[in-house]
Amino acid sequence: MKTLTPAELFISFSKIGMSGFGGVLPWARRTLVERDKVLSSEEFSAILGICQIVPGPNIVNLAVCVGSRFAGAKGALAAVLGLTLGPICIVMLLAILYTHYSYLDSVQGVLRGISAVGVGLIASTGIKMLRDEFRFPAMLLVVLVTVIAASYYQLGLGWVVLIASPLAWILAQKKARKI
Amino acid sequence: MSILLSLFLKLSAFSLIAFGGVNALLPSLLNLSVYQEHWIDLQTFADYFAIAQAAPGPNFMTVTLIGWHVYGALGAVIATIAIAWPSSILVYHLQRLILGMRDAHKKKSIQYAAAALAIGLVLSSAWQIALQINHSYAAYGLTLFTIGITVFTRWHPLYLIGLGAILGALGLI
Repeated sequence: MKTLTPAELFISFSKIGMSGFGGVLPWARRTLVERDKVLSSEEFSAILGICQIVPGPNIVNLAVCVGSRFAGAKGALAAVLGLTLGPICIVMLLAILYTHYSYLDSVQGVLRGISAVGVGLIASTGIKMLRDEFRFPAMLLVVLVTVIAASYYQLGLGWVVLIASPLAWILAQKKARKI
Repeated sequence: MSILLSLFLKLSAFSLIAFGGVNALLPSLLNLSVYQEHWIDLQTFADYFAIAQAAPGPNFMTVTLIGWHVYGALGAVIATIAIAWPSSILVYHLQRLILGMRDAHKKKSIQYAAAALAIGLVLSSAWQIALQINHSYAAYGLTLFTIGITVFTRWHPLYLIGLGAILGALGLI
């Protein structure tokens, strides 16, 4: 197995953090699997799977998993710092520009346009993930319950998770037996 | 100081229920920061969401920006740490457990259950956020166009973000 020092992890994850628009998960794959070849494709998918199961920002979870795998707790910390420091500086810079220029009509227009696209990007992530569920359509019921609880009844995130997870667990066991 | 503490505590709690990542969390984040705590107004929330989308980097930067709005650079750092530390500690301890799990059936079940939950949360997040920040038919049109393009083609999202920026600058959205 290849080894990486905390410093190398910091640099790799800095690159990942600074690239990519609308989320950096695809870039993480490109960097770790295709370019630096520190993880095989299967290893990456397995780790990513865990990061998506556990709550929290998926990409931070990924940094923790990959970092700790190569260099323990120090590695995890180095990877998370690498991932976040650069982007934090950039968004703060943008926030400063925003406070100075947000009164301009064109700036407001640009932001309105980008947020409309941003919502679409989030929705399409969900729709793409939805495709897999058609292999076991009963699972769509969980999606439906979640959407109704969150959107129609506007329950908080914690309640939605609490209500939907028993059904999700029962159906998931059935699905695992079937597929 | 108490505002920093409440920022830290409330976002830390979110970290542990954010199934489906920070995108799924956005409506709750909006609700908390705009309607409950009044840290920020709706328009600024929408603008920060757009800035986070337009900037390179992880999409949890909306959280960083809210922290910035509340307490400058320190607020930004605290907000970012808060949204990440509880889940990081959780995944740090869980990864070996799950990777090493011998029971394939149980492992698959966990994955399937979490996936379904995440999909539902992400979809309803998009729906709720759209209702809050899209103010015109043109904006909904652009959102639907984005969904169509992303689902059916392999366009890079950056083109769509650029398109949104141009249409917005022209005053069409």
